[in-house]
Amino acid sequence: MSGFDLAVVLGAWYDFRDLNNLSRLITEWIADWGPDWLSSIVTGLLGSLGILAVIGPTLLVLIWVERKVIARFQQRYGPNRVGPKGLLQPVADAIKLILKEQLAPRAADKLIFFLPPVLIFVPGLLIWGVLPFGPRMSVADLNVGVLFLLAVSGTGVLVLFMAGWSSNNKYALFGAMRAVAMSISYEVPMVLALLTLVVFSGTMSVNGIVEWQQQEDVIFILLFPLSAIAFFFAASAELNRTPADISEAESEIVAGYHTEYSGMRFGLFYAVELGNTLVISAFIATFFLGGWWLWGLDQWVPSWIILLAKTGAVYFLLIWTRGTLPRLRIDQLMSFCWKALVPATLIFVAVAAVERTLLVTQGWDTTIALPIMAVINIALTLGAVMLFARLARSERLRRPARTTLVRDRVGGLAAAREVASQAGGGD
Amino acid sequence: MSSFGFHLAFWLLAAMTVGGASMIIVSRNLIHAVIYLVISMLGVAGLYLTLSADFIAVVQVLIYVGAISVLMLFAIMLTPRAERNNTETSLKLPAAAVMVLILTATVFVALDTDWGAVRQAALADQARLIGQSLIREYVLPFEIGAVLLTAALVGAIALARHDDEDAAIHAQSLQAEADGTAEDVALLTDPPLVEVEADAGAGEDGGS
Repeated sequence: MSGFDLAVVLGAWYDFRDLNNLSRLITEWIADWGPDWLSSIVTGLLGSLGILAVIGPTLLVLIWVERKVIARFQQRYGPNRVGPKGLLQPVADAIKLILKEQLAPRAADKLIFFLPPVLIFVPGLLIWGVLPFGPRMSVADLNVGVLFLLAVSGTGVLVLFMAGWSSNNKYALFGAMRAVAMSISYEVPMVLALLTLVVFSGTMSVNGIVEWQQQEDVIFILLFPLSAIAFFFAASAELNRTPADISEAESEIVAGYHTEYSGMRFGLFYAVELGNTLVISAFIATFFLGGWWLWGLDQWVPSWIILLAKTGAVYFLLIWTRGTLPRLRIDQLMSFCWKALVPATLIFVAVAAVERTLLVTQGWDTTIALPIMAVINIALTLGAVMLFARLARSERLRRPARTTLVRDRVGGLAAAREVASQAGGGD
Repeated sequence: MSSFGFHLAFWLLAAMTVGGASMIIVSRNLIHAVIYLVISMLGVAGLYLTLSADFIAVVQVLIYVGAISVLMLFAIMLTPRAERNNTETSLKLPAAAVMVLILTATVFVALDTDWGAVRQAALADQARLIGQSLIREYVLPFEIGAVLLTAALVGAIALARHDDEDAAIHAQSLQAEADGTAEDVALLTDPPLVEVEADAGAGEDGGS
């Protein structure tokens, strides 16, 4: 903590170790003469503008990074024509998208068709608000931060549905339905994975979870590896990234929910998708890798640089899975969620509750108890993964039982003939 | 929070809630109605925030905006002819009567309540307090809710389960689709539903 204390002592605006200094100085200056509501508005604006100013250029760079890294995975060069090493390719793309004509289908529901590219930004930006960049560096340190993250990210799917439905296009509607089905299903393991952390650390504040990891000198991926894996996969499904991007699978349904969006409207969807990937990487780094804290390194390196480094590592992992894994079918994704992820994470919630209760009631020394629990949990995770690998080889999981259609439920052809004959007799 | 900002937030959110709710009634398209419902629910969540009930506000967004409205959209999409204009149904009068009763009861309770009683500091750490009261005082309703949800889950699985009899009928249907006559295929892909036909006829009568 000494690094942070030092930053408070310096407290000057040019001390970049704590980005709070600048906003704190401004609010104190306003508090001297202005009403108190002005300072809270200015702080909010400063935080959001700061985040916007960082995200905008980062997205441009990320487009290049993602295309370049995937190209390396697939043994191609990737963009290399515009600018040095193709660095200006995203700028060229953006100019092209802005200049393109904005088409709208004649049968589209006009109002709902125009709103989604704008609305999709709202959840994507709001999530950044609870991300802690340092000990006291988050725009809003809510004490229900984890719930806020889940609530806000859950509303994004509504916007995707609006986009798909209003386009009046069968492929767009298919994409929207798939997006909604995936989001509803994968929200369950996501919530359960975070619930293990909340139960074990006893706090719902995002910063509280980081501080707990710092206090106990452990990162959550060691204590609950299965939750980390489940959260990673559920997040990549919610983000529509390639192992699970069936809602915009170009080989099946053109481009899914944004089939009818042209020009910069498509560009906005694309940008938000990348931005969401970045923020979810940051949250994975925060929840499971210790966030802005790294075994004392945070005393020497600014905390937000540590967080950015971890975010980059998780982001690379997401690109890696995208570049190497084939796309799954929708029934495979659904059965993996409901038959593998949900039971496994549910069991780990119970495990976390038992371990937490033991820690609290028995008064064990955490320096001895936590490593033992970590070993037990890692063994349980390995067992679960091996069990799943064995199950995945079985015929039952490869060709899952189909659901009953209504026409089979009501008796199929024989019943249909009977009904038809009755209806015909009545006329 | 000063009184100016508080009042501004309250009136904006109240306009959002009431405006969204009125648009639900006005709009004829069910999908539009659900989207207005979402706006109204977001307004209610904002009102909770102005009351310093941040846990309830976040849960309102998580459950009503993120889950229930999405399920409503799903139900509308999967219901045949959900987009039909049903302003002329015979259920109009009972619905109006129920709404008048609910409105009267709400206004009566609102006028009857001593609103001065809530002028106290916001409770700190509401999530913990709610959790504790759920597993202490209100443990029985909580458990009943859990059992109800489990029963619903089992019911859904039982409906979608594919047993041997279903499999036999399905195989028959597939066979008929593969090598049956055109009439058989038409019967299977567009089965005659006697009740639905009667319903549609009634709708046309009402509309004319």
